[in-house]
Amino acid sequence: MPAAFAPFLADIPLYAERYSWAPRWLSNSVLIGVVVMVLILWWTRSATKSIALVPSKPGGQNVAEGIIEMLYSTLVGIVGPHMIGKVFPLLATFFLFILASNWFSLLPGIGTIGFTEHRGAFLSADHLDVPLLRAGNADLNMTLGMALLFMLFWLYWTFSELGFVGFIKHTFGVKGGLKGPLALLLAPLFIFVGVIEIISIAFRPVSLSLRLFGNVYAGETLLHTMSDLGNVLGLPKAVAFIMSILIPIPFYFLELLVGILQALVFTLLCAVYIQLSTTHEDGHGEGDGEKHAH
Amino acid sequence: MIDPTFLADAADRLGPGIPLIGTGIGAGIGVGLVGAKAAEAVGRNPGAFGQILTIGIIGMALAEAVAIYGLIAFFLLK
Repeated sequence: MPAAFAPFLADIPLYAERYSWAPRWLSNSVLIGVVVMVLILWWTRSATKSIALVPSKPGGQNVAEGIIEMLYSTLVGIVGPHMIGKVFPLLATFFLFILASNWFSLLPGIGTIGFTEHRGAFLSADHLDVPLLRAGNADLNMTLGMALLFMLFWLYWTFSELGFVGFIKHTFGVKGGLKGPLALLLAPLFIFVGVIEIISIAFRPVSLSLRLFGNVYAGETLLHTMSDLGNVLGLPKAVAFIMSILIPIPFYFLELLVGILQALVFTLLCAVYIQLSTTHEDGHGEGDGEKHAH
Repeated sequence: MIDPTFLADAADRLGPGIPLIGTGIGAGIGVGLVGAKAAEAVGRNPGAFGQILTIGIIGMALAEAVAIYGLIAFFLLK
């Protein structure tokens, strides 16, 4: 990489980098996770410090209540009122954490400030070995961790709602109110459908984590490629420098959109998975959900 | 006579992108269908906009996931 002016100096590797001076578990995506967590904690503390029925101070409580209410009304329409109390804390945390870490990762300096052996003039560098911070969800460990945590809770909620036998019946049983010889005839078909269902359940954590990881990682690579375009085309350094500032701007707006969309998608898919397995037969649960939907 | 190493080099460069051809076309068709049907649904019943938006986002995410798998394969093969 010849020029030292491009704002994105490091290629983004698939794995999170580790600092030479820190313990092995402390990679740069772990560090940004801690930073985002502290930010969210500070925000919730400051929003709920002085709760008032009619919030007088601008910002703070109003904004927090607005976000939580929007999330609640969306999620209660999917999982239904009998499950919302149990699942809401986890799903809302997923949404807030993914959104905060996606948008925080777009700040200038994240992925471009770090440690290197290849020093240039002043504080510039030709190539970064280890960025100080790395986009949080551009590391498969983070997204896979969240997806596996969700699947554990999903198992617990499903079994506590339906019971183990109920879950087996729900998955492999004959549906559609069929009775008598016809049900007996169709039973092998429904057992086969159940096997497919189990496979699709086993693939849920994979698809949940890879979707989020792939979107964020592809976004980081897109921004990196766009800001490096002038150098790749071999233009003069000054032109390449200006291009590296101007060309990524529209893609930053795209990434803002992708950030909130992926947070919403992760949360909504988790809610749908819960709804699919905890809704009782006879459409009783669905009727409840529709009554309370907005 | 073509140099065989040249062919190998070309295959090396082309290979990673091939999964993206299929997955990209499939995901594009899928997302387009979801968007078109969601627009139709809102046109029929504008009051159900919120629910249609939720269902539309979920459908698009499921269709788009396929393209993301292709992208991951591209990064791994690159």
